[in-house]
Amino acid sequence: MKPFARHALVILFCSLMAVRAQETNQTRLLPQPSSSPLVTFRILFNTGAAYDPVGKEGVASLTAAMLADGGTQKLPYDEIIKRMYPWATSFDWQVDKEMSVLSGTTHIDNLAKYYGLVRDMILTPGFRDEDFQRLKTDAVNYLKVSLREGNDEELGKEELYNLIYKNHPYGHENMGSITALERITLDDVKEFYRSNYTRAKLVAGIAGGFSADFPRQIQNDFAVLPTGKKVAEKFDEPELEPGMRIEIIQRDTRSTAASMGFPVDVTRADKDYAALKLVESYFGQHRSSTSHLYQRLRELRGLNYGDYAYIEYFPRGMFQFQPDPNLARQQEIFQIWIRPVPPEQAVFAFRAALYEYDKLVSDGLTEESFQSTREFLTKFVDVLVETQSAALGYALDSRFYGIPQYAKYLKSELAKLTVEKVNEAIKHHLKSNKMRVVMVTRDPESLKDGITNGKPSPITYNSPKPEAILAEDKIIEAYSIPTKPEWVSIVPVENVFK
Amino acid sequence: MPKPIANFSSGFWLHCKNVADDVRSLWLIASRGGDQDYLHRISKIQPFSTLQGLNKTFGAGIFILTEAARSCAAEQTKVSAMRFWPLICSVLLMQSGFAQTNTGSKFFPYPWTIDTLSNGLSVVTVPTEHKNLVALYFIVRTGSRNEVEKGKSGFAHFFEHMMFRGSDHFTAEQREAVMKKAGAENNAYTADDRTVFHALFSAKDLDKIMEIEADRFEYLKYSEADYKTEALAVLGEYNKNSADPAERLFEALRDRAFSTHTYKHTTMGFIQDIKDMPNQFEYSRRFYKRYYRPEYTTVLLVGDIRRDRALDLTKKYLEDWERGGYKPDVTAEPPQKQMNSASVDWPSPTLPYVVVAYHGPAFSERKKDKASLDFVVPIGFGENSELYQKLVLKEQKVDMLEPVFEDHVDPELFAVMARVKEDKDVNYVRDEIIKTFERFAKEPVTQEKLDETRSHIRYSTALTWTSANSIAGFLAPYVSLGGSPQAVDRLFALYQQVTPKDIEENARRYFVPENSTVVTLATKAKEKSK
Repeated sequence: MKPFARHALVILFCSLMAVRAQETNQTRLLPQPSSSPLVTFRILFNTGAAYDPVGKEGVASLTAAMLADGGTQKLPYDEIIKRMYPWATSFDWQVDKEMSVLSGTTHIDNLAKYYGLVRDMILTPGFRDEDFQRLKTDAVNYLKVSLREGNDEELGKEELYNLIYKNHPYGHENMGSITALERITLDDVKEFYRSNYTRAKLVAGIAGGFSADFPRQIQNDFAVLPTGKKVAEKFDEPELEPGMRIEIIQRDTRSTAASMGFPVDVTRADKDYAALKLVESYFGQHRSSTSHLYQRLRELRGLNYGDYAYIEYFPRGMFQFQPDPNLARQQEIFQIWIRPVPPEQAVFAFRAALYEYDKLVSDGLTEESFQSTREFLTKFVDVLVETQSAALGYALDSRFYGIPQYAKYLKSELAKLTVEKVNEAIKHHLKSNKMRVVMVTRDPESLKDGITNGKPSPITYNSPKPEAILAEDKIIEAYSIPTKPEWVSIVPVENVFK
Repeated sequence: MPKPIANFSSGFWLHCKNVADDVRSLWLIASRGGDQDYLHRISKIQPFSTLQGLNKTFGAGIFILTEAARSCAAEQTKVSAMRFWPLICSVLLMQSGFAQTNTGSKFFPYPWTIDTLSNGLSVVTVPTEHKNLVALYFIVRTGSRNEVEKGKSGFAHFFEHMMFRGSDHFTAEQREAVMKKAGAENNAYTADDRTVFHALFSAKDLDKIMEIEADRFEYLKYSEADYKTEALAVLGEYNKNSADPAERLFEALRDRAFSTHTYKHTTMGFIQDIKDMPNQFEYSRRFYKRYYRPEYTTVLLVGDIRRDRALDLTKKYLEDWERGGYKPDVTAEPPQKQMNSASVDWPSPTLPYVVVAYHGPAFSERKKDKASLDFVVPIGFGENSELYQKLVLKEQKVDMLEPVFEDHVDPELFAVMARVKEDKDVNYVRDEIIKTFERFAKEPVTQEKLDETRSHIRYSTALTWTSANSIAGFLAPYVSLGGSPQAVDRLFALYQQVTPKDIEENARRYFVPENSTVVTLATKAKEKSK
């Protein structure tokens, strides 16, 4: 049979299977056949850190780690590594609030052997104590050392979520909290596995040049998982007191990092998603010099390395240009990320961000900005789903939100927008008096004083600036920060993620 | 256009000028000369720009001969020139320069072409199945290695930033508007030996993007005020990196391991030089004139692109870009005579780190020394290594074990870094790493291990080719170091030839105490007592 004919048959077969699985409550599959010689797996369970039992924060991540970085009943982990070595593959895990995904890609030459291994890793995990001790220590060190002491930006961004979602199922870092992790036992992991790794929560995504009967094999194999409860939990918007609350983390570091934000009631499923996505892109497109914030703070004033904004969770942003898929949530925040600035310019930079945010809310976008950003996003969305793995991940997310194929969906929603609709969406969703701010700095008292004393925080430059900038600086240096001393707390870094 | 001497069924024409008009006789000349090393050397330095110069003297045949001679040596058989006709068919000599094609029959599976304009600028085109998107890379063969003057460390990286500050015909704002209209992901990075400007965007916007990219390479323009503002952004980059202990560890390692070579500093540069950057406006202009030249640059296009379009646009916008002539005087690093060590105090609580490094060989697609030691990376220190299994999985004394042995123009370091869970184990871990290095000098790896590692290297490479952008990103270092995607095929052909004996011999040569440097990093004493 000619390759294209074979490919067409696989597509047809997979479509029929996906429909049938929905109807019969079998293992849900999301097959995306193609002619690629690579085969990508994204085995998704609709569970995550928001499902951590109280006092066991971290068990969702530890469970996923035990599956992907631990042995099976048949094979210890070192043996799995040994077998995967000639194929240069791995099996990775990612846990967010409502999604846990186990993923990997193999060359089709090795598909049968690779699949055999990863199937056993998910379905018959070994749960050995030596793996558990290693992975638990890794989790604690990730929070204690890598986040607290090695990356001020990620520290600030993650703590911002903890601040906003305090007393909410989202209110702890996905890896857990240090004291809870130290208490978690192997039995806790086994229990989490039993109750959350069920067919009701499973969607098995697979993409690439697999054969037509391969999805059936997956469906049969994964039938051994318990059926589980169908009902997904509903997570509400966090209840926050009005007023800007600021947490300053004290850490011995060269510069001052800042992240700020508040909840927004918009996800990809919402009618205003495309409008806010467009605003995000205009105001703070990730790692792009086209971002408005970037232009005003970095390009014109040289305050730092970059400044961006988000309407969806985007971890590890300093290491990558595009967000990872499978971070879908029922609740999201609007966030501004100010990359580290010299401590003496921290208050000015903070005021500049607030000034630009307020201007966005009051003035909205111009017709020209709207048109150019829409054109950008309409094309850029193809970049987001460029790889097979990303396309599969986005397809799983679209399924979560109940929307069509992401690129097609976003393009069609963008086409319907007008600048008026976008500016209405800004007023409706981005006007908030519940801003939360996290800053990381070495001298928190001075920073707190600078934020709350109401005095101007002028900036000096090492080169001449245009009159318009200097005039704007005069406004920014005295810009009102709507907070009070009692709303500003200082937290030693060793108390974060505790 | 010179007179064609042959017309092949593939539709390509071979033109030769200033050379004998018979390919067979050219091959015989090469056979008689027998100086393959010389031929290798000339194509190793700056293959296509150099060949462009040679072309004027000897003609295109010289490159054909290089290919023929090497292929013949590899097959260890006497082969007539006729056997190289498929290869020769793939060689085009055009009026404006030099071109080569590859049909994708070797390790790198995509067909590619390379064309060299008369000013020395080379253009590599790799059409792939990825529709509607093009990855456009400008690869400039300058990096922190080229920072030869005292006080100018970090300048290549800084200059990468200045390339986004506008040009004669497009302000920075206009440039941003074009990129935005194209839906482009657009950025750049600087390494020791190269600076790479990359953009991924909608294929139909290629013409306009090529125009603005060409303008900044040929006609960069920025004010002193913008220059000084950008210097602050670079300091901001140093500041955000400085939160990571591993950055400081490698900064100290290079400073200790090198005495004279510019690899002594990291790409970011020494902090005192970064702080002085605002005062170096005039020098920045000099830096641009030296290195942002066609003979230092390759334009790489991957994705929904055909060679004729890539070449047309490159000629349209960059054919009049003037060749430079500057060559940096990079001082060779003298052989290390004794083991070096250093320790770094970290101001806040951290787990201790240790890094063990040996001076290693430079990148080569022809000599087996670097290729042999590349096998030591996964065998000695990868997840499947005995050391990883011991320190990370069984004893659980280490939570991070990372080998670093990148390809470089000049000899650089083979380093292995570990993050240790307890202070008391740092010396033990250091000794285990050293013992592992030394074992390669004493015991050959088994043929089985070598074969499965060959498979590992091939698959790990192939698994990265998931998009037009990832293919371009993969090719960029090889195009920079070896001149064309052919460097990939050559390197992987070398990997096929490496034997256990090669690994052992090279390990014996490089992994000796007097060639090593050890650096540790730990929380300073007063912090620990808190």
